[in-house]
Amino acid sequence: MRSGSKQATTPADNYYLARRRTLQVVVSSLLTEAGFESAEKASVETLTEMLQSYLSEIGRSAKSYCEHTARTQPTLSDIVVTLVEMGFNVETLPAYAKRSQRMVITAPPVTNQPVTPKALTAGQNKSHPPHIPSHFPEFPDPHTYIKTPTYRELVSDYQVLREKAASQRRDVERALTRFMAKTGETQSLFKDDVSTFPLIAARPFTIPYLTALLPSELEMQQMEETDSSEQDEQTDTENLPLHISVDESGAEKENASVLQQNTSLSGSRTGEENLIDNPYLRPVKKPKIRRKK
Amino acid sequence: MPPTGLEPCRMNRKKGDKGFESPRPYKLTHQVVCINNINFQRKSVVGFVELTIFPTVANLNRIKLNSKQCRIYRVRVNDLEAAFIYNDPTLEVCHHESKQRNLNYFSNAYAAAVSAVDPDAGNGELCIKVPSELWKHVDELKVLKVHINFSLDQPKGGLHFVVPNVEGSMAERGAHVFSCGYQNSTRFWFPCVDSYSELCTWKLEYTVDAAMVAVSNGDLVETIYTHDMRKKTFHYMLPIPTAASNISLAIGPFEILVDPYMHEVTHFCLPQLLPLLKHTTSYLHEVFEFYEEILTCRYPYSCFKTVFVDEAYVEVAAYASMSIFSTNLLHSAMIIDETPLTRRCLAQSLAQQFFGCFISRMSWSDEWVLKGISGYIYGLWMKKTFGVNEYRHWIKEELDQIVAYELKTGGVLLHPIFGGGKEKDNPASHLHFSIKHPHTLSWEYYTMFQCKAHLVMRLIENRISMEFMLQVFNKLLSLASTASSQKFQSHMWSQMLVSTSGFLKSISNVSGKDIQPLIKQWVDQSGVVKFYGSFAFNRKRNVLELEIKQDYTSPGTQKYVGPLKVTVQELDGSFNHTLQIEENSLKHDIPCHSKSRRNKKKKIPLMNGEEVDMDLSAMDADSPLLWIRIDPDMSVLRKVEFEQSDFMWQYQLRYERDVVAQEESILALEKFPTPASRLALTDILEQEQCFYRVRMLACFCLAKIANSMVSTWTGPPAMKSLFTRMFCCKTCPNIVKTNNFMSFQSYFLQKTMPVAMALLRDVHNLCPKEVLTFILDLIKYNDNRKNKFSDNYYRAEMIDALANSVTPAVSVNNEVRTLDNLNPDVRLILEEITRFLNMEKLLPSYRHTITVSCLRAIRVLQKNGHVPSDPTLFKSYAEYGHFVDIRIAALEAVVDYTKVDRSYEELQWLLNMIQNDPVPYVRHKILNMLTRNPPFTKNMDSPLCNEALVDQLWKLMNSGTSHDWRLRCGAVDLYFTLFGLSRPSCLPLPELGLVLNLKEKKAVLNPTIIPEAVAGSQETVSNLNSHTQLIGFQNAFSNSQEEEEVDMDTVHDSQAFIYHHLNMLERPSTPGLSKLRPVSSRSALMPQHSPGCDVTASAKPQWGVDMSRKGIGKEQSLEMNMLSVPAAPLSVFSKEPSSSKHSDHHHHHHHEHKKKKKKHKHKHKHKHKHDSKEKEKEPFTFSNSPASGRSVRSPSLSD
Repeated sequence: MRSGSKQATTPADNYYLARRRTLQVVVSSLLTEAGFESAEKASVETLTEMLQSYLSEIGRSAKSYCEHTARTQPTLSDIVVTLVEMGFNVETLPAYAKRSQRMVITAPPVTNQPVTPKALTAGQNKSHPPHIPSHFPEFPDPHTYIKTPTYRELVSDYQVLREKAASQRRDVERALTRFMAKTGETQSLFKDDVSTFPLIAARPFTIPYLTALLPSELEMQQMEETDSSEQDEQTDTENLPLHISVDESGAEKENASVLQQNTSLSGSRTGEENLIDNPYLRPVKKPKIRRKK
Repeated sequence: MPPTGLEPCRMNRKKGDKGFESPRPYKLTHQVVCINNINFQRKSVVGFVELTIFPTVANLNRIKLNSKQCRIYRVRVNDLEAAFIYNDPTLEVCHHESKQRNLNYFSNAYAAAVSAVDPDAGNGELCIKVPSELWKHVDELKVLKVHINFSLDQPKGGLHFVVPNVEGSMAERGAHVFSCGYQNSTRFWFPCVDSYSELCTWKLEYTVDAAMVAVSNGDLVETIYTHDMRKKTFHYMLPIPTAASNISLAIGPFEILVDPYMHEVTHFCLPQLLPLLKHTTSYLHEVFEFYEEILTCRYPYSCFKTVFVDEAYVEVAAYASMSIFSTNLLHSAMIIDETPLTRRCLAQSLAQQFFGCFISRMSWSDEWVLKGISGYIYGLWMKKTFGVNEYRHWIKEELDQIVAYELKTGGVLLHPIFGGGKEKDNPASHLHFSIKHPHTLSWEYYTMFQCKAHLVMRLIENRISMEFMLQVFNKLLSLASTASSQKFQSHMWSQMLVSTSGFLKSISNVSGKDIQPLIKQWVDQSGVVKFYGSFAFNRKRNVLELEIKQDYTSPGTQKYVGPLKVTVQELDGSFNHTLQIEENSLKHDIPCHSKSRRNKKKKIPLMNGEEVDMDLSAMDADSPLLWIRIDPDMSVLRKVEFEQSDFMWQYQLRYERDVVAQEESILALEKFPTPASRLALTDILEQEQCFYRVRMLACFCLAKIANSMVSTWTGPPAMKSLFTRMFCCKTCPNIVKTNNFMSFQSYFLQKTMPVAMALLRDVHNLCPKEVLTFILDLIKYNDNRKNKFSDNYYRAEMIDALANSVTPAVSVNNEVRTLDNLNPDVRLILEEITRFLNMEKLLPSYRHTITVSCLRAIRVLQKNGHVPSDPTLFKSYAEYGHFVDIRIAALEAVVDYTKVDRSYEELQWLLNMIQNDPVPYVRHKILNMLTRNPPFTKNMDSPLCNEALVDQLWKLMNSGTSHDWRLRCGAVDLYFTLFGLSRPSCLPLPELGLVLNLKEKKAVLNPTIIPEAVAGSQETVSNLNSHTQLIGFQNAFSNSQEEEEVDMDTVHDSQAFIYHHLNMLERPSTPGLSKLRPVSSRSALMPQHSPGCDVTASAKPQWGVDMSRKGIGKEQSLEMNMLSVPAAPLSVFSKEPSSSKHSDHHHHHHHEHKKKKKKHKHKHKHKHKHDSKEKEKEPFTFSNSPASGRSVRSPSLSD
């Protein structure tokens, strides 16, 4: 619970503060009733806290009992059971309530229930259909369960689509290359101007053929889509630190590449795969005789 | 295995017989090459060779071998130390004291130098003296084993090292080395008999890093670790007799792929490229099958290897049982354009395996047979693989090329026969180089030579039928394979050599036909035929009067006499007529068959039997002729210029089914810009069944016609609506469909059409705005996401199209080109180029095709004055480290800039690159591009043409390019283009204006003073020039004025002689002094020589017997390096007691040998006359080994 020292700002805080103050008054009067002249603030606070806990526990338990019996509103019996459960002698209660020296305190000032911020009210709450008893909770706001299709009119115009794709790509490319040019070295075609047509400076590669021949990652993806059956089988023979690979899948693989020509795949050859005897695949021999030096 | 104890072969059969006469006094039977160490860091190689030879003459005491660049440490013959001399006259062709600067002189001297070491003439750079202890042994013709230790340091030719400069071990870096060169160039990397005619069996051993593979010829017998397990030795055996020139090597960290279809075939590529290798070679087995089937002969070797290397010398190089390719031929399945090209390369190399590697040639003049056969069967493969259309198109293309080349340069001779070596007999005097040796040939000439060779083979096929042709090949192959299996009968091996006469004999045996006239016309004679045809139709006689004229007086032409086929398409059908072209008959009457005027109902039968409906309204009502074709089968090497009316060409285009005819008509229609032509071309463009190359050609023709018709053209720009209909969306015609290149025909058309459209011009001679917008839209809407193929070539062509649309800028008062006055259209183009070029840095395209196109486009913009002309950008792209295609494109731009802006600085930059670039191909290509697009030519005044440049180029071809035949010939070509044959006009006159002619006792004006135009014969001038020069040294030396031609050898010799004298006068006794002598600078040309070799050079070798006998190259003997191991026992040389007595004069003997009726005389006659016997006993001088770097004074020098 909030401590009173805290600056209360919201209406909810005010509400709780008022309740607490009432409890304090109750505690004080009970103390007076018991014959105390004065009390330290701390002890009053403690007692208030205990009282509040006690009351809260009664409320919570009562609610549980009530829900246990599938009701929504606690009844007196719920309270009684709760009190019994908590070890309170219910029999003594009427006598205590009617004691002579009891002090009557004024009703707490009416403070507004904290307003739960109104959730988006979208449309009318649906009323219960006939098969649902009216005591059941109301339906939540429609927006929580009603689907509202919010698409725009489908752009089915091919031209616009292509246009859009093209300009998008162009913008991306342009922005990217400009960025690269801005952040790196550039060359220019005009002596007086370096920014209008900035060319990213040519940089030699150490192994130029790799970038030139190998497809870019983008293209690789595409390639995988077209023939995913291709697998590179790389076997490291124990002696050779080389990548020796026998293209065994080659025969089966669909030869997507063939220039409009049907490679006649000879199935008969596939059987020989295991018998490949190629001198380059043989293991390297150990030196024969170790000469002494 | 080397044959043992066999009767040495002696070929003493008469000439003309197909028997082979070895030019050597011995027969090589087996050679071992062992390379023990390869150092990639230092780029060096250490090894030895061992040659097993059988003397064929009793008095064999010298063995000449070929060797270049190699440092030779030690030579042993049958384990006895042998003395040797090493002399390479091709290192420096003309000696540097000579101020000769005319090409005529150079070419002769160069040919002489090459002859002097030509293995086909029994010569060689390395001359080994058989130790006297073995003389008796030799007399019994017993086997000799010549063991040579050698090393190679930073070779500039022959072996090429590629060592990328990155982190890691050599294998991780992808460092590799491979052999390369033009023709027989094996001598660059190990001593051998570098001739295609000296066959022997081989044992090859290479010890390499354990992470590397050595690929070489023959069977890999085993691979063994060295003792430290860090290296492996690859042992190869080649049991099939093979010429040294067909031996090759590639070492690198190659990935290995065993061909899935043929396990005896292994493919190798550089790391990371394996997926590409798999795809690229997946087709090779079909080529194998094809050749084996048509030749009915198995592939001759037991295995085959393909190696793909970087920085390759040529795209394809075939060697015995292996081929070395450029790695740039590898491609993935997404690439369309490269696929057929690569397959062609594979097929070409395989054809050469049969003819070129397995079957070798007897001599250089038989080269055409091998190139012809391999080119011919490659053509058959093409026909089968790509179809008849592609084949015929290729034949036409090749024919056009050879015709253009011959007409330009004056003829390509396939089978040169050399007489006494006299200038007059030179069959190629129209050329600026000698065709006597492959190494003196211009590269372009050699390319054309190969082209002509296969065309001539096709002519022979036309004559004797393909069946017989293949039988002949089969016969050659089976003879060779029988011979090759004769392991111990090395004299049989000559059956593996093909000669022109042997080949012709086979043809006549097999076919029974006499093809001698054909051979005489196309093989023994150079030149092509040039026909001019025209016709008239004689209505009364119903006869076609055909007139065929020939031009046989222009250079490069020859007269044709014989049958000529003419095809006439008439209304009633197509008829072939064979005319006899004779000396004086120009007119030929051909009777027409179609009497009927016009029967509209009837369909018209075509040559192929098809019958078609034609709209005959365009025809001449009186004539039944639709079209006429002269020599439709291309059975003559000719150019035909035929005149027929436009409608005939149009009919020919529409209805003739032969693609060659269609292409010819398209070219002809360029001259007829009419609506009818336009319609015919458009129809062809639209016709799906039409061959795609014809349609592509039609695009360009249509663009030309449209430009000619610009004022009357109606409708949208040519091809636009067609393109829209074929490739754009139905609903929005301005947007191209997303790419789908499944149909290659449409792909090629789609690529080409915009390029042709961009050539359209409006009345202001500008590219129509509509076209430019159209192309820009194509680029904008290009979408390749759904395509299975890469669109890099397509995009590149779109950039080419943009470049084609550029027209010259309107320039106001030569204002400086700035951004502000940039034409808005150009701005758009530049925007695209910038984006494309920048995107390439992030997502590079295959082979950087887009960068290449962008660079070209930028140069176009520069040339047209839109962008300031500046080579900086291109120079940065031309640097080493860029992909070779980019470099070449950039260099082409620099070459063009050099020409247009006459920039001396850029020319120097290019020349520097020619000398220093690490990639031989790039060096070659720069020279080639400079020759094609020269900064100036010989008759032009240019500020670039000055003495320094002449000196520089002269030096380049004289000595700077000695490591690469192709490069040297390229330098010669450039020199010729820039300065012509005679002394460059920009040179100052020689100092001596007067020439003393002692013979006639008169003084004449130095001919070089006489302006070139006045001087009658260039040759005379040049020859006299050479003498003028000599006079500078020795005024007693002169020549007859009338002598029209001077034997160049003599000139050469005499110079050397004089030079030698000077040399002797100031011969330093200390090595230090030698640096002052101009001569010593020679050593700089032989980088492998340590400074110590200056001493060697000055030590006069007195042994020059064979040289003097041959009369060539003896001047080199002056500086000859006498090589031997420092520790070699000197006693070897003391066999000649005269050795120490031999004084300085002895080496003059090389003048006396001039029994060649030389007219010139000189004062310095020697007192010493040597008879031939004395020469044989010439002492052996021995100084030091350049390899050792130490100088050891031999006793012979001490006097």
